[in-house]
Amino acid sequence: MAVTRLPDYVVRRPSGFYRSTNPGTKLAIAALEVLAAFLLPGWIGPAVVLTAVLATAAVARRLRGLATFGLAASPIVGSILLVNLFLLPGASDPIARLGPLAPTWSGLWFGLQTIARLLAFSSAIALVYLTTAIDDLLADLSRRGLGRRAIFVVGAAVQMVPLTIERAGEILDAQRARGMDTEGHFWRRARGVLPLAGPVVFGALTEVEERTMALEARAFSAPGRKTLLRVPLNGRIDRVLFWAALLALVALVGVRLAGRLG
Amino acid sequence: MTASGSPARGSTRRVPPPPAPSIEFEAVSFAYPDGTRALADVSLRIEPGEMLAIVGQNGSGKSTLVRHLNGLLRPTGGRVLMDGTDIRPVHVAHLAARVGLAFQNPDRQLFAGHVSAEVEFGPRNLGIRGAELAERVALALAAVGLEGVAGANPYDLGYSRRKLLALASVLAMRTPVLILDEPTTGQDARGVARVQDVVARAAADGRTVIAISHDMRFVAECFRRVVVMRAGRVALDGLPSAVFAEAAWPELRAAYLEPPLPAVAGARLGLGATPTGSEFVAALAAGLRNR
Repeated sequence: MAVTRLPDYVVRRPSGFYRSTNPGTKLAIAALEVLAAFLLPGWIGPAVVLTAVLATAAVARRLRGLATFGLAASPIVGSILLVNLFLLPGASDPIARLGPLAPTWSGLWFGLQTIARLLAFSSAIALVYLTTAIDDLLADLSRRGLGRRAIFVVGAAVQMVPLTIERAGEILDAQRARGMDTEGHFWRRARGVLPLAGPVVFGALTEVEERTMALEARAFSAPGRKTLLRVPLNGRIDRVLFWAALLALVALVGVRLAGRLG
Repeated sequence: MTASGSPARGSTRRVPPPPAPSIEFEAVSFAYPDGTRALADVSLRIEPGEMLAIVGQNGSGKSTLVRHLNGLLRPTGGRVLMDGTDIRPVHVAHLAARVGLAFQNPDRQLFAGHVSAEVEFGPRNLGIRGAELAERVALALAAVGLEGVAGANPYDLGYSRRKLLALASVLAMRTPVLILDEPTTGQDARGVARVQDVVARAAADGRTVIAISHDMRFVAECFRRVVVMRAGRVALDGLPSAVFAEAAWPELRAAYLEPPLPAVAGARLGLGATPTGSEFVAALAAGLRNR
């Protein structure tokens, strides 16, 4: 008897708003949002994209995850604001004089706009990550014809992040257990942690190499068409959204190249 | 004096570890941030100088329990006491002077460019320098049979020797409490004998030795007390002869553990509790003499 649908203990299908949307469709929408954030003039791009992303995240119940991404970006956000506030070339409308420094209105304005674009761009990508299982994304890319090697590179790169974080945590624990002070003042902690960066990166690379060999041992490079264990759903709405996003993306680039926007 | 209580500089005499503290887990519970409850109301007292093995299936809470001893994890309920004092406010770096923990996976512990630097790392953090540091490194490497590879890169050693190196790096700290997480994994017979020797010497020095192991033979041969953990709780606690006795097998099986072969053979032949090979042979010889 032919198996028409794999049981949940083999493949658990994603459910819920946006989480069940086809991964390729979500990627196309994210690509459109990223371009819109940068190509639409002034505040329009970031405002439209941020509104769309936040609304989608709220309905998909992923706002908290998105907030974590936002917090992680705060050092970059802070530095962008400071650099533009004080060092924007050609700005001559000082807000105040602070000794040799003079923050400017145009620097502040430009900095805030750059931050909004950055947040719109990164939150669009983060939303895909927060609502998509990496295996589903890779399976869908494979179904759409992306080469197996390219998929492995994408998969290894994405999966390396949580693996490296876990490895770094355990290496750090092992050194703390041998008396390395990670609870003292900043410079002491930094001095202790820096030498551990090598083994963390080296270990992660070794792990990817071992994974490559394990795949090769299971006929990863064998010629011929392969069947997919996971085939993400791609319903009519998914297909319409996918093509609509791609068309909008092409149109946006075309209009920009024609010089009609900003 | 250093944090470990040892003279820091210049001395070449063999300094014994400071006296081992008493340890008490007082209704300790722990849940990971994702909500996984790893320990539930664990109460356990470990006397100074005791030799204790903790066994149980993967995920039963063994590693989580011992990580509370050096502050890598803090209980979400209950207290961990050392010599009657709650260790919650004590930094890991300070607890490291009293509790040495050799991790299960050496590759998550080793990071230095050569073997002797790796072994120096712990004692250096405790403030040991000069001749005493050199002596500690030499003795620790000799204890695990790695004295001939002091200049080698740790990653040029095979897995079993990297595991022994990780053990040496903790031995050099001369902590009064020594915790070994799966010390015999990946070791051949000679490696297991090395580990057994290290455990025996540490016990002879008066140190408290706690080992987590799935190797029931090693546990029965080396330890005087065995704690069986199941689902974050202590299921059995006693002498090897009691924990591996036939009456306890249903509890062992519930924890997905098999008693050591001599214990099974002794029970089948009606020789009583014989958790170790030597006890089995002695009981068998006595039985044959009495026939």
